[in-house]
Amino acid sequence: MHNSFILQQYARGRLVGARATAAPLRELLEGALLRGEECILDFSGVQATQSFVDELVGALILRHGPDILASLIFRSCSDDVRAIIEFVAADRCDQFLKTRAH
Amino acid sequence: MSTRLVLPPYVSARSAEAVAAFCQQALNAEDDIEVDAQRLKFVDPLGMTMLGATFYSAHEWGASVRVCGLPAEIGGYLRRMDVFEGVELIDCADQPGRRHNRADALLELTRLERTANSDAVAYQIANALVGNFPDVDPDEPPDEMTGYTRFERLVEPLQYALTELLENALTHARRGGYPNANVWVASQYYPSNDLVRLGVVDNGCGFLGSLHGHPELRRETHLDAILTGLRPRVSCNRELGIRNDSVNQGVGLTTTSRIADRAGGSLMIISGDGLHRSIGPSGKMGPEQYWQGVGIALECCRSSLNEVRFRELLPGLEVETPVRLRFE
Repeated sequence: MHNSFILQQYARGRLVGARATAAPLRELLEGALLRGEECILDFSGVQATQSFVDELVGALILRHGPDILASLIFRSCSDDVRAIIEFVAADRCDQFLKTRAH
Repeated sequence: MSTRLVLPPYVSARSAEAVAAFCQQALNAEDDIEVDAQRLKFVDPLGMTMLGATFYSAHEWGASVRVCGLPAEIGGYLRRMDVFEGVELIDCADQPGRRHNRADALLELTRLERTANSDAVAYQIANALVGNFPDVDPDEPPDEMTGYTRFERLVEPLQYALTELLENALTHARRGGYPNANVWVASQYYPSNDLVRLGVVDNGCGFLGSLHGHPELRRETHLDAILTGLRPRVSCNRELGIRNDSVNQGVGLTTTSRIADRAGGSLMIISGDGLHRSIGPSGKMGPEQYWQGVGIALECCRSSLNEVRFRELLPGLEVETPVRLRFE
């Protein structure tokens, strides 16, 4: 089963920006992921700040580890959004793995 | 009894040391404050936010603030920018008909109290600035190749930078014994040199208070704290583990600085007795020049904003994600 999260409805103009906006969405996302559901993050028509993506995806990685990413699908990302997701994921996975290695 | 202070001629990022000295004197006053504004010639958004924050704090403590002799040609403008809320103006004549109508190019001084406002305020400011540029039509059809309008290309870098600056201010300022810290923001477009200027100021714990004890902070000075905060992936709560509140990645300020740089502008940060300019001299300010909290001035060239691409602003990483990301 797929849960689809349409980011456009959280945007101001074409940008999803603040951590405070991402946090409640992450809680919904986390609930679905913990129930074993795959989730689609649909970025159609929106740009995102690094902070928003970090609060949405980076915080999940820090809590649950890199494997949580296997249940996430990123849909319709612009080149900018894709680069930000790749940056956040790589950085937070690295941080998680280093913390666990100590 | 009142303390009489003289406002410097330039209340702006370029004279931030003098503004900080004035504000510190005002905040140290133990009675009412009388401000001689006769020499005042120019105020930019950073100056407005620092003045607004100072007058607000004095008002909160129960001190009355009177501003005397404000030149007419600048007084109307500052009133329009709401800099004098709660301030008594004396001998400050307005000059009807001589005041510039700047409705197309400014956003009034705004005070923020809650994190939830940052998205809305960033959007409002960016739209207010760009939406009223005389040569930009918000309703023009999008480019067929990119799907973007020119309006959106101009709005998004400003909105992005403002969101990051306001988030930083609202989340960090209230740490370390400053639970009631506020954030002020103002902006202005200057058509004569095509510059957009933003000022974001808080009266919270400052960079040093936020990064105190951080392993990356080599020396416990305000300037070192500013420079450390500008380094990618340094944040007061990045390394502290998983908390109930949000963690920071420590990239937002770096990205904001790069937006200013890409758009032909600069960033200036003042905190404590530290002053950093991305272009120009940085260092420890003089005695009695101090800002409790953080003040940031961002300047950029409007016509270069549409050249900003967020993916080009991210710090380099030498690591890869161990799990394949699924894009579709």
